[in-house]
Amino acid sequence: MKSYEVIINHKGPIDLSVIDSILLTLKNYIQDKQLDIVLRKRLYTLAVECLDNIYKHADKSEHHSDLISEFPSRFIVEKIGDDYMLHTGNIIFDVNKEKITNKINKINNHDQEEINKLYKRALMHAEISEKGGAGLGLIVMARSTGHKIKYDFEKINDKFFYFAMQLTLKK
Amino acid sequence: MRYINIPASEKSPKVIFEPKKYFFEMEGNSRPENVRDFFYPIIDTLKEHFDALIRKANKNDDEPIFNFNFKLEYFNSASAKFISDILVIVKNCNENNVKIKVNWYFEDGDEDMKEVGEDFSDMITFPFNFIMVKR
Repeated sequence: MKSYEVIINHKGPIDLSVIDSILLTLKNYIQDKQLDIVLRKRLYTLAVECLDNIYKHADKSEHHSDLISEFPSRFIVEKIGDDYMLHTGNIIFDVNKEKITNKINKINNHDQEEINKLYKRALMHAEISEKGGAGLGLIVMARSTGHKIKYDFEKINDKFFYFAMQLTLKK
Repeated sequence: MRYINIPASEKSPKVIFEPKKYFFEMEGNSRPENVRDFFYPIIDTLKEHFDALIRKANKNDDEPIFNFNFKLEYFNSASAKFISDILVIVKNCNENNVKIKVNWYFEDGDEDMKEVGEDFSDMITFPFNFIMVKR
């Protein structure tokens, strides 16, 4: 039977201080376990990009605080055998569902070599948004895992979906 | 002539720009809270300096080589965009007779950091000097 360990299990708001605290926990874990340099940097990269994505892109509305407590943002890192699984979840407006789906599907339809080309093109043409994002996060995630990005949308109501994403990092 | 001397923090790299010494260096981790506020002034300073250098490059053949050292341990995707903007300045210099050398440091075993340097080098079609550092 494969070993199972939960390294991070965060459910609740994700702001800059929460991100710092999660990354510190992860850094300590990485140091304790003396992971191989490539694996530890990929794990850290995935965590940063996932948390940044939630922080910058989770659609919040002050009028929907009850929704936020019922469907909190989440960030989970678990180790199953030698592999790491990262899970994220956050609320999005229904109008953003198609945009996210298209973006992930476009990346998932490429092999690793094509993703590298996509990354270089995106670097040259990226514009930094008001929120400080370069739109490169998902491509960086796909580069770091080498696996397809799994995702799902759960309908909350007419206006909102809960967007869940899962990344696998193999040793 | 503008200098840059930004000390490293937990989230942002040390950045040094000493035009008189023909030296630019970025070292450490880069995931600044406000990535635009951090990088825009650096890029503006570099642009201003190198635009002036390009204007006089053809008249001054004995100008020393300008060294760009990247000693990065980690950078997020938004920082990658700004590093690529800095490297576009390098590309522009190279195409306009300003002598530049890019030294890309990576830790022994950190194949991803080496690869990302190779990607940047490809992107600006300018060869880097890759330097492996033992821990």
